[in-house]
Amino acid sequence: MKAYINNYELLCDAGDTKNLMNAIYAKESALVVDETYLPHATAGLGKMEYTTIFDVLEDIATKVLKESNLENFHDTLLILGSSVGGMQECENIFYKEKNYKNIDASRYSINVLTDHLVQKFGFYDARALSTACTSSANALLLAKRLIDVEAYENILVVGADGICYSTVLGFNALGVLSDKKCTPFDKDRNGMNVAEAVAALLVQNIKTENSVELKGVGAGSDAYHITNPDPEATGAMSSMLAAIKDAGLELNDIDYINAHGTATLANDKVEALAVEKLFNHSVYISSTKAITGHTLGAAGAVEAIVSCEVIKRSLIPSQTGLENQENENINIPRENIAMDVKNIISNSFAFGGNNASIVFGACS
Amino acid sequence: MKKVAIKIINSAKIYAPEKIEDLDEKRLVPNMMMRRRLTRNSKVMLYLSDKCKFDGGKIVYGTCYSELEEAAKMANDVVTNGTLSPTSFQNSVYNTAPSYFSLINKDKDEIITVSSGMKTSLDTLKTAALQALISGESIFCVAIECINIKNIDEINRCTKYLEAGAAVVLEIANDESNAKEIEDLGVSGIMDSLQDLISVVNMHEQGIDKILIEL
Repeated sequence: MKAYINNYELLCDAGDTKNLMNAIYAKESALVVDETYLPHATAGLGKMEYTTIFDVLEDIATKVLKESNLENFHDTLLILGSSVGGMQECENIFYKEKNYKNIDASRYSINVLTDHLVQKFGFYDARALSTACTSSANALLLAKRLIDVEAYENILVVGADGICYSTVLGFNALGVLSDKKCTPFDKDRNGMNVAEAVAALLVQNIKTENSVELKGVGAGSDAYHITNPDPEATGAMSSMLAAIKDAGLELNDIDYINAHGTATLANDKVEALAVEKLFNHSVYISSTKAITGHTLGAAGAVEAIVSCEVIKRSLIPSQTGLENQENENINIPRENIAMDVKNIISNSFAFGGNNASIVFGACS
Repeated sequence: MKKVAIKIINSAKIYAPEKIEDLDEKRLVPNMMMRRRLTRNSKVMLYLSDKCKFDGGKIVYGTCYSELEEAAKMANDVVTNGTLSPTSFQNSVYNTAPSYFSLINKDKDEIITVSSGMKTSLDTLKTAALQALISGESIFCVAIECINIKNIDEINRCTKYLEAGAAVVLEIANDESNAKEIEDLGVSGIMDSLQDLISVVNMHEQGIDKILIEL
């Protein structure tokens, strides 16, 4: 059974899907340089406008349902990917009170987000995944496989992460946080921007006039280092090859790669090498994290929506922020490229060497 | 909604009121530098994988509270020093334990980490069954909670065993004959997030090796 992405919506620093795509094509980064968030460091951050992450989840799910062919989500499986879950709320209580007494344990872990959506919409069942920055890419992987084996007809995949103070401090402690707007694949890049987003995609077993096919999924592990990618890029290549094989495609069928492209020194060097080794100069590649920042566990879902839009608009986005390209053997567009886009691969890589690649295809 | 019958190949469980004392770490991880980096969940996972004779392949790992010791260290560092340790940060993510397994065993296969609250181990079993169905391979399905942190009494109201884990190696059964639904054979005092997998381990110990799972 084939899997189709039929409806979607998101909220990120650039706004909703329409605003995000406008920003991507106009090269208008929505990142902000914040001099007060951390006490002794400047941080580029991708902040969305919201009251609580629960309000955003509810709003995005409502919009997807309204645009769908479903009356409700009662026969729908929810699969949510997040790296921090309810940590944002709990860490704020701990920082203020310096003890655990008023922390509700059930609001700490990842499932606090799924529980909220289940309570509001009455999903048939719900699962929460957390593989750091591949969380919602892995949610898409499972959704595709569950449709493949005819276990479900409707699956709502959600990626959701809010900015947590400890996450920003943590990336700063690792020395990978940029103090400016990030510049993926640039020689002079100096790190990533932590960002937040909620993105939801309705995956179904039926094709509609707006469908994009969720064509192939691939995943694997580097087995190299707990945070750094394998410098030989074997893990990144392996997950892309697995996704292309699962899609029933060849390497030269891919038109565009929406890169993980965090703008850390290690990620971009290795991802570029993987693309160079597999595709050489034959495929366009860019990272939209120059607009959104790194939305962590939500990134796979955010970039899935970007990929669907690129297919529908037949317009490959140029690389925002790029001045001096580090690896000249990959094809990073400096201007948007209008062309018939049949297949896109979107990469997500995470701590622990966890890799996931997803292939999206135009429906003829 | 679809059910499949899984066959349990091997199983193991371990739990302790506070800290599991003998996880056989020196034999399982001879490299001292690597051993010193391991989190509690990682050590329990390595122990369970050894008991299940699993040294590589697809992993589905479940944990509701993840690496609580590392998260607590980070939170305390922030309130006392205003900084945090990069090691604690990198060890605090939910997929830390299977990532260390992957590093130690050079396992380059897929890892999925499930964190579905009190039904974590049930969803871990469901995801493992899907992975077995899709791949035709044996899958390592493991769920662990280690919540033995300072002042845990401020927040823990019902869990007697602060460290616990359960694991099975499973594959898709050839047929569904004599396959049983998961029975309520949990262990009182272990966190609910682990009880479904504990029940499956206990069923296996009683000689039941074929179990029905809704995907």
